[in-house]
Amino acid sequence: MAKHVDVLNGVDLTVRSGEMVGLVGENGSGKSTLMKIIVGLLGRDTGTIEREGSLGYCPQVPLVWETLTVAEHFALFAKAYRMDDDQMHHALDELLDELQFRKYRDYRVSDLSGGTRQKLNLAISLMHNPDLLLLDEPYTGFDWETYMRFWDLSETRRQQGMAILIVSHMITENKRLDRVQHLRAGRIEQT
Amino acid sequence: MTGLALATSEFVRQHVRNRVTLVMLVVIPALFVVFAASALGELSKSLGGDVTGSAATSLGAGWASAFLGGILGFFQVSSSRDSDRRLSLAGMGGTRVALARIGACIALSLLAALVAFFVLWADTGIDQPGRALAAILAFGFIYVGIGALVGSLVHDELTGSLIVALVFIMDIYAGPGMSGSSGTAKITPTRKSSEVLMSAVGGAAPSTADWLAVGGTALGALLIAFAAFWFAARPRT
Repeated sequence: MAKHVDVLNGVDLTVRSGEMVGLVGENGSGKSTLMKIIVGLLGRDTGTIEREGSLGYCPQVPLVWETLTVAEHFALFAKAYRMDDDQMHHALDELLDELQFRKYRDYRVSDLSGGTRQKLNLAISLMHNPDLLLLDEPYTGFDWETYMRFWDLSETRRQQGMAILIVSHMITENKRLDRVQHLRAGRIEQT
Repeated sequence: MTGLALATSEFVRQHVRNRVTLVMLVVIPALFVVFAASALGELSKSLGGDVTGSAATSLGAGWASAFLGGILGFFQVSSSRDSDRRLSLAGMGGTRVALARIGACIALSLLAALVAFFVLWADTGIDQPGRALAAILAFGFIYVGIGALVGSLVHDELTGSLIVALVFIMDIYAGPGMSGSSGTAKITPTRKSSEVLMSAVGGAAPSTADWLAVGGTALGALLIAFAAFWFAARPRT
């Protein structure tokens, strides 16, 4: 029998187009749980979620298939996002360059380092240019250069109108964010 | 290529690229047909049954297909549950992900059944090859259903694979000619497939009712597998 734990209690959160919002909180405060509920990976007991447009989700742990290659992941998710071949190849080229992992294009996930897996994880969530991008600790395993590139990439997307919610237990790049929301005792506290 | 076709081929590739899976596809049928048949005969004798010779060898092919089907069904759910759900939420949908998983299971079960069939053919010869292949394939489909069902209910891989193995062993013990004349033994998952396989190898013609029972059980198992795959990949909204 699974143990029942009350994690979230009256969370109220809005992210608008062209806005980059940080969601911070202690370990176990429910950040990832909230993210999973928004995405649809977890059910909710009550409340409503309103989403407009397409959604991109970068989970904390890369959810990928070990024996498939980077390019095969792009092809598979392109079908899910209903992208045609041209759009898929354009996204693949753009993201391989932006995140600088082109040489791993035909590598299987099992042969990738943790940081490169995370690049793939992030790229999958971005490849269809979603209206709302949900990032759960997206830079885990990134080196400093990639970490800074990640913020530049996020800023570019934000300027293009993408709504971005970044979850982390600690965000040091606060100046890049429009708002930072704290999750405490199951509720959002605005900073 | 449609999304469903691409997902199916990628899911097949996912397993075929695993060296352990490939080795098992070759080793398990040889092991069950060539080496385990005599042990199966001895076991049958000790339990008061009468499965010996070509009957034991043919059952070995069926059990090889069942074993591989059970592993495939279980790990198709267990090892990919979260990634499949991500794909489903990205827009592929639970139904298409489940159909792609079923497609991959059918393709891989067919491969396993073919290997088992050819090993059996080479070892003892088969009087009715088409019927024997169909019966061997039914073993695989039935265990795809069992494996997928266990995989959707039990998240721990060790516990789940032990449960599949337990069902498998109980099914062997209770198979026709092993010990099985009791009422419970007559409703084991592969009983009809075993009877049809032994008669196909021996040259006897199974009845239409037997074929309907085999087909119905295999189809039912695939439907259970579909439900299990869908359950694992469904959005929680």
